Order: sequence, then C-alpha cells, then structure tokens
Amino acid sequence: MEETKKKEQSGSTHKIGIYLWIWGLLFVLSFFSYLVDWYQFQGMLRWSLILFFMFLKAGLIMAFFMHLYWERYALVNVLLWPMTAIVCFVALMIAEGKYTLFSRLFYFFVGG
Amino acid sequence: MSDPKIEGFELEKGFRGMAKDTGSDQTMFKGVHWGKAMMWIFLLSDTFVFSCFLIAYMKGRASTPAEWPNPSEVFALDAFGVPVPLLLIALMTFVLITSSGTMALAVKYGYERNRKMCGYLILATALGGLTFVGMQAYEWSKLIHEGVRPWENPFGAAQFGSFFFMITGFHGTHVSIGVIFLFIYCYKVFAGHYEEGKRGWFTKMKGDYVEVEILGLYWHFVDLVWVFIFAFFYLW
Amino acid sequence: MSEEYENKSGYQAQSSETISGSSSGITPDMDYVRPAENAEQDLYHPHSFIEKWVFCQDAKVIGVQYFLTAVFTGVVGLILSWLMRLQLGFPGLAGFITAEHYYQFVTMHGMIMVVYFLTALFLGGFGNYLIPLMVGARDMVFPYVNMLSFWMFFVAVAVLMASFFVPGGPTGAGWTLYPPQTILEGTPGHGYGILLMLISLALFVIGFTMGGLNYMITILQARTRGMTLMRMPLTVWGIFTATVLAMLAFPALLVSSIMMTLDKLLGTSFFMPTILKAGEVLEYGGGSPILFQHLFWFFGHPEVYIVALPAFGIVSDLISVHARKNIFGYRMMVWAIVGIGALSFFVWAHHMYVSGMNPWFGFFFASTTLIIAVPTAMKVYNWILTLWRGNIRINTVMLWCLGFIVTFVNGGITGIFLGNVSVDVPLSDTYFVVAHFHMVMGIAPLMVIMGAIYHWFPLVAGKMLNENLGKWHFWTTFLGAYSIYFPMHYLGFIGVPRRYYEMYDSPYMTSGVGLNEFISTAAFIVGAAQLILVFNIIKTMKTGKKAGQNPWKANSLEWFTSTVPPEHGNFGDRLPVVHRWPYDFNVPGAEEDYLPQTAAPSEVAHTEVEKT
Repeated sequence: MEETKKKEQSGSTHKIGIYLWIWGLLFVLSFFSYLVDWYQFQGMLRWSLILFFMFLKAGLIMAFFMHLYWERYALVNVLLWPMTAIVCFVALMIAEGKYTLFSRLFYFFVGG
Repeated sequence: MSDPKIEGFELEKGFRGMAKDTGSDQTMFKGVHWGKAMMWIFLLSDTFVFSCFLIAYMKGRASTPAEWPNPSEVFALDAFGVPVPLLLIALMTFVLITSSGTMALAVKYGYERNRKMCGYLILATALGGLTFVGMQAYEWSKLIHEGVRPWENPFGAAQFGSFFFMITGFHGTHVSIGVIFLFIYCYKVFAGHYEEGKRGWFTKMKGDYVEVEILGLYWHFVDLVWVFIFAFFYLW
Repeated sequence: MSEEYENKSGYQAQSSETISGSSSGITPDMDYVRPAENAEQDLYHPHSFIEKWVFCQDAKVIGVQYFLTAVFTGVVGLILSWLMRLQLGFPGLAGFITAEHYYQFVTMHGMIMVVYFLTALFLGGFGNYLIPLMVGARDMVFPYVNMLSFWMFFVAVAVLMASFFVPGGPTGAGWTLYPPQTILEGTPGHGYGILLMLISLALFVIGFTMGGLNYMITILQARTRGMTLMRMPLTVWGIFTATVLAMLAFPALLVSSIMMTLDKLLGTSFFMPTILKAGEVLEYGGGSPILFQHLFWFFGHPEVYIVALPAFGIVSDLISVHARKNIFGYRMMVWAIVGIGALSFFVWAHHMYVSGMNPWFGFFFASTTLIIAVPTAMKVYNWILTLWRGNIRINTVMLWCLGFIVTFVNGGITGIFLGNVSVDVPLSDTYFVVAHFHMVMGIAPLMVIMGAIYHWFPLVAGKMLNENLGKWHFWTTFLGAYSIYFPMHYLGFIGVPRRYYEMYDSPYMTSGVGLNEFISTAAFIVGAAQLILVFNIIKTMKTGKKAGQNPWKANSLEWFTSTVPPEHGNFGDRLPVVHRWPYDFNVPGAEEDYLPQTAAPSEVAHTEVEKT
C-alpha cells in the first residue's frame, strides 16, 4: 500500500527536460526584452515588444513552473476570469490618465 | 500536476470536464490539495494587490505633466567605465529566473521523494532569493546616493521615486518573506519532516511534500510579478 | 449521535457499497453517493480554557467571537449616530459636540458600520458559524489560520478604537477618506487619527484575507458527500460570493491605505496635488486625488455587495423555511448572486459622477449600474413568488424578512434614481443619498441580521427566543427605521446637503427643522429599542424553553448535528450524506412537510421530488 502510494506520487511528476526547456526559454525571452532597451526601440514598436515578451514569459511561468497547464480547467478558469475586472480597470484608467493630463494642461496652462 | 484518480468519478478533459467538476459534489478542484487551492486563491488576491499598485503607477505616470525620468539612464550601471543600461536589473532578472527554475526542480524532486535533491535545490532557491534582495538593497542605496527620495528626485517627476520605492519595496518584501520560508522549508526537508508526517509547530497539522509545491507556487508568483515590474517599470 | 438523526440521514455507509435487494421497486443504486474524496479532517481539540474559548480553532467559537466583537463596534457606531442626530435635530443642545467632533462621528460611524460591523458580522460571524455546518464539514479547512483571522480582526478593532483616545482624536475626513483634505491640517484627526485608521484597515484586510481563504476553500473543497454546489443553501452561496468579492476588492483598499500612509508619513505625492495653503505652496505636488477615489470605489462598490449578498442569501433561506415552500427559481437565485458579484466590479465610478473624472465614464457606469439592477430585481421577484401561496408562518423571523423586502425595494428604487447621471447630479451629496444607502445597505441587511438571530439562536444557544418580545422588537425597529429614513428622501429633494454640521438659517432648511427633530427622536427610540433584543436574550438564557433539534423543521444540514448546540467536529462519528437540495418543503406525497437534505430517495419513494 505504502509502496503503491509512493509510486503513484512519483509517477505524477514531469520529465526534467521540460523544466530545463522552459528555464532556457525564459532566459532567452528576458534577453530579448533586454535587447528592446539596448537597441532603444521607441514608440509603438517598443511597447508592443515589451508587452509581447512580458506576456509570453508570464504565460510560461504560469503554465509550466506553476503547473497551470496540467491543472484542470475548473482551477484555470477560476484563476483567469477575475482578470477581466483588472483589464477593465486598466482600460478605464488609461482613459482617466489621459483626461487628467488633458485637464491639467488645459486649465493650468491654457487657463480654461 | 497530472490528473488524479478519483474513485467513482470519471475525469473528463477541457470545458466539459470543468462543467462536470463544478457540478459534482465534495470538491470543485478535483485532486487539488486544500493548501494548494488556498495558495492559488491567495495569489489571485495578491495579483489584485500588485495590479492595483501598477494601475496606480500607470495613472500617476500618465497624468503627470512633469517629465518622467528615462529608466534606461537612471538604472544604468558602469561596467568597466562604460555605462550599460539596466545592467543590474538584467542581473536581478537572471538571478530571480534562475531561482524560479531551481524551485520548479525542487518541487519535482520533492514529489519523487528525493529528499537530498529537493533540500539542496530549495537551498539554492533561497540563496538566489537572498542575492536578489541584496542586489535590490544595492540598487536602492545607489539611487538614494544619487538623490532619489520617495518625495523627490533629480531626474524629473517626483512620483517616479514614490512609485519606484513603493512597488519594488512591496515586491522585495514578498521576496524576503519567501526567502525566510524557503530556509524554514529547507530545514524541514532535510530533517525529513515530510517523510514522517511530523506535525507543524503552530498548526499541529501533518506536513507533506505538497507543501513544497505550495511554497513553489508562491515563489514563482514572486518571479511572475517581477516580470511585470521589469516590463512596466524598467523598460517602458 | 441521536437516534432520530440516524434514521433521518438514512444511507450512511462511507464506502461505495450500494443498497442491494430492491423488493419495493427501488433501483439498487438509487441512494448511491460517491465515496469520500477527502480524508477525514484532522482536528486539534482544545486542551485548556484558553484554547477552548480564547485562541480557539473551532469555527463556531470563532464565529461567535467575530459576532460579539462586531456587535461591540456596532454599538459604538450606533452611539455615534445618536450623537450626530442629537446635533442635527437639536443644534446646540449638546454643547460638547463641536463641528470637528461631528465630522469625526460621521467618519467613524460610516467606517465602523460598513467594514467593522456589517462585513465582519456577515462573513466573520455568520460565515464562520454556518459554512462548515451547512456544507457538512467538520470545521474550516485551516482552523489555525481561522483563529489568526479573528485575532487580527480584534487587533484591527482595538487600533480603530484607540484612535478615539489619541491627541487630535479619530479622523474626521468622512468614511471615504478622500485626499487631499484627509491628511491636511484643518481636518480633525489629520495626525494620529488617520494613521490609526489606515493601519487598522490594513490589519482588517490581512485578517480578512486569512478568513476569506478559509471560507472559500471550505465551500469549494470540503463539502460533504452528495453536496454539490447547486445543493448548497443560498446562505452559503451569498457568503461565498461575498467572500470572493472581498478577496478581490480588499486589495484595492489595502493599496490605497498604503499609498495614503506614505503620503502622510513620507511626504510622497501619490494623491496630493499642488496645494496652496494661506498663500503658501505646500511640499506636495503632482499627485492625483481622483486616483484615490477610483481605488477606493473599486473596493467600495464590491463592498456594498459584500454586505448585501450574504443578506440576500440568508433571507432566501429564512423565507423558504418560514413560508414552508421551496425557494422560487433556485438556480436563477444562484446565478443572480454570481452575476451581481461579477458585475459589481464594473460599476464603481457611479459613486464619482460629480468628482471631475473623465465625463465619458458616465455612459459606461450608468449602463452597468442599471444592468446590475436586473439580477437584483429578479431576486426580489423570486422572494415574493416564494411567499406566493406559501404556508406562511407570521413569526418574528418572517416579519424581519418581510421588513427586509420592503426596505430593500425602497432603497433599490432610489438607487435607480441615483444610478442615472442626470438625476444623480442634483441629488448628489444630499440627504436623498443618505436615505438611499441607509435603506439599501443599512436597514435592509440589519433586518436580515435580526431575522437570522431569531432563526439561528435556537441552534447556537439551544433555546427559543421569546416571540412576543421579538414582535415588539420588530415593529418598533421597522416603523422607527422608516420614520428615520423616509423623511430623509424629502430632505434630499428640498436640497439639504449631507455631512453639514449645522444648517443655520438657510432657506431650504426652514421647512426641514421639524422633520429633523422628528427624525432624531425616531433615531433615539429605534436605537433604544434594540435593548428589547438584549433583554430577550438574557431572559431566554434564564427561562427560555428548550429548542430541541430542528425547531423550525428546516432541511439544511446545520439542524442535523449530533448535539444541539453542535460540538467541535459538528456531526459526531459520521459526516452526513446529502441527497437533495435544502428546499424540499411540502413535497406532494411526503408524510411530513419537509424532507431533510439527508433523506435518501428510497426513504421517500412515494413522493414526487424534483431531481436536484
């Protein structure tokens, strides 16, 4: 009984290769995002590259290091859906930030 | 981890499986340890904390009429007399990702009941975390020497210093707490507490190697947050 | 374990064996319930008085501790409201109430009632007591963390109360703590008071996170055999969704507290714009006060539902039990609770229509606000349809429930007014708003709390509260509360602003003076009427009649514990096995008018029971 239990538990782990692969990928992606700064890309290109590498890295960490790829959908969905509230908050705060800047420039410098 | 076996319940894949799990009795997350589920929900809550910090930073930065300092120059470090942008930050990222990798392996070896490997890898993770905190302390002191304060800085908008110290400080606190727990767990693994199911000091509950995975989740989360801070604070 | 319980719960085997032999036409696996997934919970039994009553790990004791602490803060809040009404109704009568004191009373009353009283009472008090019992668990899944949660809350309350005694007194910035005035000179309590408030809030959030994790994981992962999510009592659904909201909304409060503390202590300018004070420019500059408002209301609006959803859930159960009828549209009720919870994260800026935010936001937030009224209205219809042709017992509990429906509809309808930008702008910051939110999230949840006390007191204490006293209590409170808040709508219409210390001779106030006196008198009476409950409890504890098991003939698991009141571990040797939802009242063909959740299908073979 003890033996089978032990076996079951060790059977449920993943091959070491996958961790090393992800590990390597994370280094490469970090290096790429560092290069974005090194080559001083500006504007939309810079921002989209930063976001692209960021989400890729975050996704890899969550999916493989945190095992979310192997978890059941019930857990995955419970964890990811609340992020819509954050997305909404971010979107609205982008609009709000622009409006605050606009009203500051308008009322402070143009004088209303 | 991979799908557990549950007596009298057939696990299905994908959204159909999700509906079936959710509609079943007893548990919604099939085969997920209570402590692990708790850590996931806690991390979800903590994600909202960091999101709020970063949203505040975004709003603050977007709405300030003053010039925002260029992080590429502020965080540059002299290497052999040449200023290299973000050198220290790159190293910190390297260290943190390394420690995240060792933690992932520690979890794997923990489940394989490889006590020695698991213990050494947790120790390596803890040392990585300690290095990270040390480097952050160096970064802070360097900036403070350059005249950056939470309420002002010589480079531009005052909010730069405020958000920098607050967000990296909050992240650093998370790392430090993680390091403390890593050392505790390192001791517990080496002492074999999880093999004999020794009861915890405070909770009086039996431990298991799943606790290493729970701590691992926390540690990867800290790394995850750093990915976002790195992108939004240092690169943007 | 009592004999009666053994019989009621029927099929008890812990393994996967099925009932064999189907002589009466029952299919063999009719009563089959999957074997247990979770191992039997390892419980730490207390060894000393301190472990049993002070640092206790039993969720029921923790629940009572939460309840009593929350009630204590509630009494403080009530006294503060008396002092405010004293000043408003009879200005100058109590000379010691200065303008500064008045603002401090307003602030502390608001914060105490919303966070430290209602939230702690519903989630900490009722949540701790009822969740493990109702889902059929032995205890919360992390009893030690649960204990820490209460003591963190206790420390938070202690810190909050300490702010009454520090130099400068508690903060007087209004419960929303809007910067910049919160931490500027001239606001009462801008020194120690606000600092203690922020620290106390942070402690509360940390403590609540510990508790909230427990509630969520207990409900999701520690239900008993046969207890699916759609067989949980709505009480559990309400508390569960409220906990989810709290776990996701309190972070915004924590973040804004931290940032404000830094503004206060370190002189950062997160929320502080450039400020001229007596011709002199202050050190602050460049911050965004509106950012605080967004963060605060990103917490604050879900907070409203954190208070409301448990009340919705509890009242559904009370109505169903005391109308002897299944809850109308159970699944609709569940989805409405979940839908309200999800939507509540997308409506926050309707508190900020006049704040100077991006004017386009009005469209978005007015729309979402009116959408959230739909599931809320569905719930009201369902409560009324549950009562429709029910076998209603007009007892105290039912009276409180009816009182809830009335006050909630009243407050909800004024909410529709305020949710529209163009109507909100003239009504903003008047007594109309005060009337609205007191009706909808003050009086209405309070009615449910009172109903819940009369309903579950027999379980907690084992004795029945006196009905006559209960009815006196209800009618004075209900009529009194209406006397307080109904006239306030009118005050709002004539333009009386809220948060004003004194109205002096302003023209719109001349017609309101009499009303204000009337409101204040009613407030004193209603507050004092709560003593009836205290007297009732004392009297019941001394001479009340024994409740016995399941005095209301309810179906949910908390009434089927091994002892009354339940002991540590709740259910004796074996956990109950659940076969149905908790609303099988007056099932055609059944011998009794209720079928407990533990009644197996083979026991009630001749009834027509909806499969749930």
